[in-house]
Amino acid sequence: MAKILIPTPLRQYAEKNNSVDVAAGTVGEALASLTTQFPDLRKNLFNDEGKLRSFVNVYVNDEDIRYLQKDATPVADGDTISIVPSIAGGRC
Amino acid sequence: MIRVQPEPWATMVAHAQSTYPNECCGVMLGSIDDDNKTVEIAMNLENAYTGPQNEHYEVRPEDLLMADREARKLGMDVIGIFHSHPDCDAYFSKTDLENSCPWYSFIVLSIKKGTFDHANSWLPNEERTHAAQEPLEY
Repeated sequence: MAKILIPTPLRQYAEKNNSVDVAAGTVGEALASLTTQFPDLRKNLFNDEGKLRSFVNVYVNDEDIRYLQKDATPVADGDTISIVPSIAGGRC
Repeated sequence: MIRVQPEPWATMVAHAQSTYPNECCGVMLGSIDDDNKTVEIAMNLENAYTGPQNEHYEVRPEDLLMADREARKLGMDVIGIFHSHPDCDAYFSKTDLENSCPWYSFIVLSIKKGTFDHANSWLPNEERTHAAQEPLEY
């Protein structure tokens, strides 16, 4: 099983769990399993086209999946999947 | 309502003043009880924006990942992000809104001529088209 860490503001959509264990071979399968189990998470993580929202980054352990194989990035038993937003801004 | 305890507030103001005239950024950890948030720790982060930092900031996702791990270790929550507006008011700009995340509180500190002037907290909506002001105590 891999463990998906749920960011604080999204726990309300995951029955207040701070992490969820999933059986999956890839990141895509893991997130599909998560959002099947907790459908209200889907709109928080994915856009209408089913792609991760623009500000959502996913890490397997310490690695950003954009630099691995994206959704097809393999996950193994004991891996930790983190959901981390991109944040920036400026006064102008 | 978001309440920042004295120690993290001092950390945030000192970071914003010491990085002036550039924008600073950081993450706030603490606890959430319904709609009441209490900031207990402020972690200063490096502004990762590669252009002019006097008008932009960027948080490295890796730094936020590290902050989330620290929060979990301490039994706390990531509550939000803070950044500064050098020589500008603490509004939530179009750039702030478009590059925000609807999951967190965003505290903006106005620093004028190097000194803290005022602050506001903002809550972006899901579409990141509007941010509501959140009552802030410090």
